[in-house]
Amino acid sequence: MKCMLSNLNLNKRLALIAVVIGFIGLFAGSPYKGNTVKMDTKELSLIVQNEVDHVSVDELADWIIKEKSDYRLIDLRNEKDFGEYHIPNAENVTLPQLENYNITRSEKIILYSDGGIHSAQGWMLLKAKDFKGVYMLTGGLDEWKTKVLFPIFPENGTAEEKTAFEKKKEISKFFGGSPITGQQETGTNVTPKMEMPKIESPGGVNPAPTTGKKKKEGC
Amino acid sequence: MNAPFFKYGMFNDEVSLIMAFIIGIGFGFFLERAGFGSSKKLAAQFYFNDMSVLKVMFSAIVTAMIGIFYLSWIGFMDLSLVYLTPTYILPQILGGLILGVGFVIGGYCPGTSAVGVSTGRIDAMVYFIGIFGGVFIFGEMYPWLQGFADSTPMGTVTLPQFLNLPYGLVVFLVVLMAVGAFALAEWGEKKIQSKKAVS
Repeated sequence: MKCMLSNLNLNKRLALIAVVIGFIGLFAGSPYKGNTVKMDTKELSLIVQNEVDHVSVDELADWIIKEKSDYRLIDLRNEKDFGEYHIPNAENVTLPQLENYNITRSEKIILYSDGGIHSAQGWMLLKAKDFKGVYMLTGGLDEWKTKVLFPIFPENGTAEEKTAFEKKKEISKFFGGSPITGQQETGTNVTPKMEMPKIESPGGVNPAPTTGKKKKEGC
Repeated sequence: MNAPFFKYGMFNDEVSLIMAFIIGIGFGFFLERAGFGSSKKLAAQFYFNDMSVLKVMFSAIVTAMIGIFYLSWIGFMDLSLVYLTPTYILPQILGGLILGVGFVIGGYCPGTSAVGVSTGRIDAMVYFIGIFGGVFIFGEMYPWLQGFADSTPMGTVTLPQFLNLPYGLVVFLVVLMAVGAFALAEWGEKKIQSKKAVS
């Protein structure tokens, strides 16, 4: 046997190795991970602690204005609420649908709901399925309303705050919101002024999956 | 550390271009060392005089396949994060035929023509210009071709999924196929060479 092996030239030896390794592969089982996954709870808790799993509403607004398309924005609310208003480019997926929805683990996924609870639950669900780039919109749609659509100018604001507010005003107008300036009656109740923008106005709403726009990979 | 490195965010888009450059240089270097900068060597493949192309390519495929299979199996690599080109069966068969005919006529494939250009071969340069001409014409005609280019889609499909066989079995079968092709190639080469020697 040993004699036989030493008689073979290098090519034949390599071929033999390939066959042996391939044969072992027959019994190795699937290289894909199955439905049961191990979660690294320590890693998860660190992510939560360091808040690297968040995307702020300002960041998101900036991405939409710059027409970035390397992320998928998922709206976890029900269809009715989604129909009334949603952030541009969002796709409506409820929590039970999320598991089988057409998203892949290599995509950057941003979840949002009204507050933060549903998106946090969705985040956990996707993390358990080993999705890598899952983020939550900080404060959800509520914060989107107060910070992006209807920013309030502080009444006794400094000059610095004023210039910052000018910028916010522009952003708010881009998304069809209306900034609330302090000079007007801020005392009593500001909510009647907040009228949600019509969904067709800002930046062309496209509820269809954005995979078509995705950057091409491979050769 | 986990692979694929890019998908796990080990480097960004800009660095990925540098990585691609380094890997590309390495790829070109080994193609040149295998003699694939010469169209004569490449074309010899189709006359069964010299089956180096088949051997080199099959070695690369088997090495990469076994490497990826075992790296995923031990959990170092997440196979589901690896990008797969979607399959469109008819357009890709036609594209493969055009590439194959071009390979026989010109003696180069796109990668090896770049190798030929870098070692200063004139036929490779002509071929290289031809590639970009073809790419340009295809790009300009794309609105008319799009219907066909998007036809018969199969999504991103792999052999184990398509054949509904266990992954390991497909790995073993491909290895057997490669070793078989090697043996056949060596046998064919010897036969043709001895024929030449007689005549």
